[in-house]
Amino acid sequence: MLLDYSLCLIQVIFEVFLPSKIKMSTSLNVFIKSNTGNTLSIELDPKWDVRRLKENVAPKLGLSPVDVKIIFSGKELMDSIVIEECDLGQQSILHAVKIRHVDKQHLRDRTDSEGSRPMNETLVDWQLSAIDRKHLNTEEDREREKAQFFVYCSSPCKTMKPGKLRVRCASCRSGAFTVKCDPECWDDVLHMNKIRGTCENAICVESHKDGSQFAEFFFKCAEHPSQGENDQAVPLDLVKSNIKDVPCLACTEVKNLVLVFPCKEGHVTCLECFQIYCLTRLRDRQFSSHPELGYTLPCPAGCADSLIKEIHHFHLLTDEQYAMYQRFGTEEYVLQAGGVLCPQPGCGMGILAPEDCRRIQCLSGCEFVFCRVCRQGYHLGECSDQDMDTSEEPVNCQYKVDPVHANQARWDEANKITIRITTKPCPKCRTPTERSGGCMHMVCSRPQCGFHWCWICQTEWTRDCMGNHWFG
Amino acid sequence: MANIAAQRIKREFKEVIKSEEVAKCAIKVELVSDSYTELKGEIAGPPDTPYEGGNFVLEIKVPETYPFNPPKVRFLTKIWHPNISSVTGAICLDILKDQWAAAMTLRTVLLSLQALLSAAEPDDPQDAVVAKQYKDAPDMFRLTARYWTAAYAGGPYSNPDFDSKIRRLTDMGIESHDARVALSSFNWDLERATEQLFS
Ligand SMILES: [Zn+2]
Ligand SMILES: [Zn+2]
Ligand SMILES: [Zn+2]
Ligand SMILES: [Zn+2]
Repeated sequence: MLLDYSLCLIQVIFEVFLPSKIKMSTSLNVFIKSNTGNTLSIELDPKWDVRRLKENVAPKLGLSPVDVKIIFSGKELMDSIVIEECDLGQQSILHAVKIRHVDKQHLRDRTDSEGSRPMNETLVDWQLSAIDRKHLNTEEDREREKAQFFVYCSSPCKTMKPGKLRVRCASCRSGAFTVKCDPECWDDVLHMNKIRGTCENAICVESHKDGSQFAEFFFKCAEHPSQGENDQAVPLDLVKSNIKDVPCLACTEVKNLVLVFPCKEGHVTCLECFQIYCLTRLRDRQFSSHPELGYTLPCPAGCADSLIKEIHHFHLLTDEQYAMYQRFGTEEYVLQAGGVLCPQPGCGMGILAPEDCRRIQCLSGCEFVFCRVCRQGYHLGECSDQDMDTSEEPVNCQYKVDPVHANQARWDEANKITIRITTKPCPKCRTPTERSGGCMHMVCSRPQCGFHWCWICQTEWTRDCMGNHWFG
Repeated sequence: MANIAAQRIKREFKEVIKSEEVAKCAIKVELVSDSYTELKGEIAGPPDTPYEGGNFVLEIKVPETYPFNPPKVRFLTKIWHPNISSVTGAICLDILKDQWAAAMTLRTVLLSLQALLSAAEPDDPQDAVVAKQYKDAPDMFRLTARYWTAAYAGGPYSNPDFDSKIRRLTDMGIESHDARVALSSFNWDLERATEQLFS
């Protein structure tokens, strides 16, 4: 009891003091890149404003503070901006650019209002219409109104994290680049050549005299210190903070984070329900295999044209579940490429064997040798339960084992057993199909197959089946 | 049971209870277990159908994966309908299979089943015997369906002719339900039904 209490107390102390303490006392270590090729590593206090930063940096670059502009994430920062407003992380890169002669003519006109606020401050959430934006008046509302991004950080976090939007020049990839206007939707960010801007890189300035370069947007994980300019993360554009308080389609609760499906209605599930949705479809092998998008899912409300385009969203599954996703995706690929799956319970390895080869061995899996036609152990002569052409002698060939099949994750055995009881493999593609409801008329659950078959005969569904044993 | 499924069913349960249709006594839903995994549904036979005046009880089983997979529904009340098994009560309605969508609810399921009673789909029959009668002898089908409604669902219409045929068979020691099935399957031809029952 006393122990419990003191543990609690310690926790409280940690919660109350630790995070704020870290924020208060930590100085930021950032890089300053100049357009003359210098890179400085500097410590700065997040409470500094941009003017103070210029005073610190300019002498080190042999310039006077008034000759320098600071560019970060597509914006020239105004002097009055405080660094901590800028969504900078440890090891972030700022660009210090010497103001060009053309600009210098206007130098005397340059005031504090030159430049702008950082993009993270100006960008409003794209879920909001212009009318919505007007209705957000309180400080809290305005905080919520700011665009928030989520990314899949493949390294080192290996999970979904808050993300930061960054900008660079589309032609030379320099970060010393300012945008003409903020992106207004995901399309502006995900597709090239949507937002124009100005690049400060000397080479680019030469080739685009009109100053009409395009911006290229990318994302970083907000959680770990920047690991350089190539440290990028995949944006999970369907994950949004639920600023409109839409209830989850499945559990009907209003959660903070939601996944908005790319259908016309924009159906919403919470992330927990999304995970269950994926798992349910995965276990029934009901993902769609799209030639360009990959192994993916549509909106659970059954909307047309609603496939998830960015398959990194499936990283919202646990590692184990994701391994299953990869495995099934690979198997689907094998089946579509004319391969077969090892029929041995607990194996299911994908095997690409030549079309005319009847004797197949699961070389990189359980080593089971089986007959392509009946999926039983390999045998000479006719399959015992099926008509087949045995005129040609089986050729003993070498097999190519599916090279992409990297993942060895297996269904857990318990699952396997229940599945065997209530499912039978589709006679055409061997996908386990569950018998739900009373009738014997089965439709293969694999969308690419969709074979109609009879639970009893385990062959194609016929009028005879209909008459004789529709309901067993 | 998964939290999500239970939570969702709880809300849907309330939705049905508060619905207009309940007020009109057209549909009804009751809990069978505390865990919301099993429910009992009821639909009233729609007017101007052979099911009018009847009350049909449904077994509703909610899978763990609800609402991403459909509830498993079957008729507990025996019914004579081309899309419902006269033997098991199984329904092979598309929305209870591959056309299910997570946005559908208990209410939509019950209303769809009620709609199915108004408009059978004989081209996608689920009970071959009933479907054949529906197509070949529609008047006979209507009388039979109405007779079943009276016998099992509390419908108001009696049919003394059918009653006496059943009595002939029960006098021979046949269970009345078996007699009803046999006679219904042979368009109330007593001779053929008897033949089939004693073969
Ligand atoms: Zn450039
Ligand atoms: Zn949810
Ligand atoms: Zn949708
Ligand atoms: Zn194998």
